[in-house]
Amino acid sequence: MSVQGVAPAQGTKKLDLQKLLAPAVLVGLYAFFAIFGNNFFSSYTLKTILESAYYTGLMSFGITFVIITGGIDLSIGTNMMCSAIIGGVAFSMWGWPLWLALCLVPLVGLAFGFINGVLVAKAKLPPFIATLGMMLVTQGFGSIVSRVQTQRYPTIGTAKEWFKTVFYRTGNFPTGALYLLAAFIIAAFVLNKTRFGRYVYAIGSNEEATRLSGVRVDKYKTLAYMVCGLFAGIGGILYAATYTTAIPGTGNGLETYAIAAVIIGGTSMAGGSGTMVGTLIGIFIMAVLKSGLASLGLQAHWQTFFTGVVVIGAVLMDNVRVRAAQKVKVES
Amino acid sequence: MKRLLALVLVLTLALGVTAALAQEKMYISVISKGEQHAFWQAVRQGCEDAAAEYDVNMFYYGPPSEADIVLQVEALKAEMAKNPKALALAALSTDAVMTELQECIDKGIPVIGFDSGVPNAPEGSIYATASTNNQNAAALAADKLLEDEGLAAKLAAATAEAPVVVAVLSQDATSESVTGRTTGFVNRFVELAGAYGVVEVQGHTNWAVAAENPAIILHVEIGASPRIDDMTNAANAVLNKNNLAALFISNEGAVAGVLAATADGSEFGEGGRFNGILVGGFDAGVNQKNAVRNGWFAGSVTQDPYRIGYLAVELAVKAANGEAVEDVDTGAQWYTKDNIDEPNIALLVYD
Repeated sequence: MSVQGVAPAQGTKKLDLQKLLAPAVLVGLYAFFAIFGNNFFSSYTLKTILESAYYTGLMSFGITFVIITGGIDLSIGTNMMCSAIIGGVAFSMWGWPLWLALCLVPLVGLAFGFINGVLVAKAKLPPFIATLGMMLVTQGFGSIVSRVQTQRYPTIGTAKEWFKTVFYRTGNFPTGALYLLAAFIIAAFVLNKTRFGRYVYAIGSNEEATRLSGVRVDKYKTLAYMVCGLFAGIGGILYAATYTTAIPGTGNGLETYAIAAVIIGGTSMAGGSGTMVGTLIGIFIMAVLKSGLASLGLQAHWQTFFTGVVVIGAVLMDNVRVRAAQKVKVES
Repeated sequence: MKRLLALVLVLTLALGVTAALAQEKMYISVISKGEQHAFWQAVRQGCEDAAAEYDVNMFYYGPPSEADIVLQVEALKAEMAKNPKALALAALSTDAVMTELQECIDKGIPVIGFDSGVPNAPEGSIYATASTNNQNAAALAADKLLEDEGLAAKLAAATAEAPVVVAVLSQDATSESVTGRTTGFVNRFVELAGAYGVVEVQGHTNWAVAAENPAIILHVEIGASPRIDDMTNAANAVLNKNNLAALFISNEGAVAGVLAATADGSEFGEGGRFNGILVGGFDAGVNQKNAVRNGWFAGSVTQDPYRIGYLAVELAVKAANGEAVEDVDTGAQWYTKDNIDEPNIALLVYD
């Protein structure tokens, strides 16, 4: 069974043009800010764009699976933060060695992903409600475990600065980008080349038909949420490496950037279609936008405003895309 | 006869309740601005020590983040329903608690402001405030940065063709402490830098002062939100400015953003990309202390959070007992790599 066989008709000329939209927007935005931004066109800014994409990237790769199944995970932002906080607690309050504490971080994310999966696939809760609840649960859990203490990871110029060189940057080399790249390759491979990946598309296209053809839908749906949680957890390590501090009570709102990146990248909220390359492009559109709006010297509220406009624009694009796809289906 | 019995019963009950209340410890509510930053830990410690000292029952609340104005107002309402004998409040937004403060007056609950306090509160609601005068504290940073000979030389050499930029990075333009610091720094800087050339203030409408052919530009940057990723982004935008000579960062949250943008501050150091930019911070915390200790920051202003918390509760107890209370300035200090370990400073620079 091929991916194309399940997803709404792809590969027609009209849709190919739609696919080119996201890369064109990315290039256009970058060019726009390069011309009008203050010192935007520099290798340094490029590096800061890359760095701000580390953790959003990980979250976006993970949630791409969930969105393709037709679901949503609103808890990834707080899950990521909670994972980073618990890692920090293990390191600073429980006295674990740093490497062991870092191993714990993705596991926390995975565990919350598993709970999401069970709530959605087995308990049949609407994904929006289940993960909205888990968003509050993870936010609260991080505060409880840390006793509302900000968790600080080792910094450059102190002992254990290897944490920064391994996960953030070595001199001027952005080491974190390697993890982003590796995560992308793994996510793309899993989505395109494994049975799990094909079932993810199948569930999103037509869950009932997939079930009737003998696929254990519940299992693979749960797996999709687990993958999502795991990626959010790994994102927690990169977040800690980038920002050093993980603050209890924060993290909500970060999921909107990750979800926006996925939608901008061409994954349909309706499920059944989407690509990892698209998500990668979406991530960089969001990162360029964020850094670019600040470089224009726009005041804070305008930055927030325009980010919102882009998110709405992305969903509108999604609608147009879905309609175009349906039209093509009817024509063919 | 029945009526008499009922009356006696009611009287006994009332007496009993009064007696029980009299024996109960005084109940005081403390509504702070957060718990996550080390600063607030020190404040809380001060509150708890004072509560133990005066033997009162204290409830301490801090919202999950300093953006959670709504949660703070809800907590305030919940506490007021418990009829505390006095209330200590550090408002995230003064405007958001206006109604509640009016209600405190009506109910006769004395309110003590602390940290940023509750400026412009309804007449008679705030009995006293225990706080750092934020404007004075930030002005101290302007004084200290301008004492630097390198910066003075750069400002003196500035021309309208190649203006020198000095920036202030703040996490919001709503809370009184942060806006007070921004204003304090801007005012003192404009006053002192005027000696070197024409100064223009730009970047945010609240502080903008236009000037013709300015040689010195003071740029005020406010993050899109107090969240660290937004503060990091704002820090990058500021650091990218041409001819940036000095930077003042007005609280621990904004400092965290700058540290994330500059590899924990090391890029201000020898051989770093931003070497030569004079940086002044505010507050303390392990990471900022690390940046100061390494000389990446010229210095930082610190308040006395423990004293703020202690005095807030002390004033609240006194006000509840009907004693006269008045405002206390809890003071500020400039710490650098040279004096950070001196005992009187080390007390103030919490981890």
